Amino acid sequence: MLEVRGVTRRFGEFIALQNATLSVAQGEFVAIVGASGCGKTTLLRLIAGLDQDYAGEITLRGARIEGTSLERGIVFQEPRLLPWLTLWDNIAIALDNAPLSASAKKNAITAQIALVGLTGFEKSYPAALSGGMAQRAAIARALVGHPSILLLDEPLGALDAITRMRLQEELLRIWRHEGVSMILVTHDVEEAVFLSQKIVVMDSHPGQVTASVAIDLPLPRERSSAEFCALKGEIFAALHDNAAAKPPEIEYLI
Amino acid sequence: MRGNIKAFFRERRYIGAILPLSILGLWQASASFGWIEPVFLPAPIKVAEAFWYMLTKQDLPRDVWASLFIIGQAFIYGTLLGVGLGFAAGLSRPVELFFGGTINTLRHIPSVAWIPLIVVWLGLGAPAKIVVLAKSIFIPVFLNTLQAIRGIDQNFIELAQALKLNKRQLIRRVILPAIVPVVMVTLRYSAGLAWALVVIAEGISGLEGLGFLIFRAQNLLMTDQLLVCMALIGLIGYILDRLLYLAQRRLLRWQRGFGGSYA
Repeated sequence: MLEVRGVTRRFGEFIALQNATLSVAQGEFVAIVGASGCGKTTLLRLIAGLDQDYAGEITLRGARIEGTSLERGIVFQEPRLLPWLTLWDNIAIALDNAPLSASAKKNAITAQIALVGLTGFEKSYPAALSGGMAQRAAIARALVGHPSILLLDEPLGALDAITRMRLQEELLRIWRHEGVSMILVTHDVEEAVFLSQKIVVMDSHPGQVTASVAIDLPLPRERSSAEFCALKGEIFAALHDNAAAKPPEIEYLI
Repeated sequence: MRGNIKAFFRERRYIGAILPLSILGLWQASASFGWIEPVFLPAPIKVAEAFWYMLTKQDLPRDVWASLFIIGQAFIYGTLLGVGLGFAAGLSRPVELFFGGTINTLRHIPSVAWIPLIVVWLGLGAPAKIVVLAKSIFIPVFLNTLQAIRGIDQNFIELAQALKLNKRQLIRRVILPAIVPVVMVTLRYSAGLAWALVVIAEGISGLEGLGFLIFRAQNLLMTDQLLVCMALIGLIGYILDRLLYLAQRRLLRWQRGFGGSYA
């Protein structure tokens, strides 16, 4: 459904992403892992349409991506809720331009808030929400317009370990409930193995895709099972190969 | 009421009353013991009597109204123009370039220095003062509105892009609420400045208003009336700021709870 073919993004002389290729099938959950600076966020922003200055081709259902679209929902690293809007309005804003009746919008928002478990907090302002609650609200905002693909840019990276594990389970539940394709950018290998059906491994200098590993464990996954750990080991090995294939970086300070 | 009195003592709010009461006591003592000539500092009761006299026998309400009329109009025009033009400049670089330099230069000419010229043009009445005051409110409001828009987190603009908001929705949902904190502080600050300027403008030119009264009282050595004017100017300034503060708190109720539980 989503095809990224030979995409290169330069910032002046710096090559943030070189010849990246990957595909996401309808309803598939794909994780992108890699060290910081490998261009995974750059790639996600290109898919989101927030950045359009690239060489190569990105298509969704055969149509080239031009700018942002409500068909592609995005959750950022931080919740990015508007502090002057209530939780309800922060989610409703995603439907400002949806061709729905007022009552249909109301139903969609109510259902989405229930799905992320925030019923009862509709009138709260973001300042009164915990980090985990705020990120759930951000997920609800991205999903309320029923996009065909959801882009997640390290959405759980800033949360504590326990909240993160709970939200991973919720993300899985939401994915199964909504049947939406998802691309999750993360540097947490366990998170990637726990959630996704396919893991794309990236490397830096220049940013590039180096491996693609299918995760065919049945859901829900047991984090301590032997198969789970073996797959984690495989991803770590792929990341390590990336690091080992390069000469150590030496900087000269003059 | 009883709760208020309790809080007055339990939270030690009476501490704030010590200084004004002491000053009042000292004032009364200086009158009672004849420390200071009454022509320089009349007794508190004489000032209260002067207030009553001005209220009933003279035209004090008309003069207060004249001053309020000027600052009210100036505040509306200055604010509308400042926010409007600040907005236009904030959303359009050419507009900013067109006005920015001129306004940044003009703001170094103090408002008081404008009064003589504007009075020559518009006469001694209210219009000249309204123009000068509106200008003194317009400049900080314009500059701070523009700066507040420039200071909006780029991430919010990107979010608006991702949500496909059009320009009107971007303004209503993101830009307007984002600049309210800065604009409200500027309004309170410039309203205070403008209120002081009313007094000066009325003192320099004109035949009515609190500023006229206070300078007339000085010329006639009517220190009691002079003190009445000072007290009224202070009180009205306080009330104006309080009203704006309440408006600010209402508009910014989403800010309450900051420093809360955001991880």
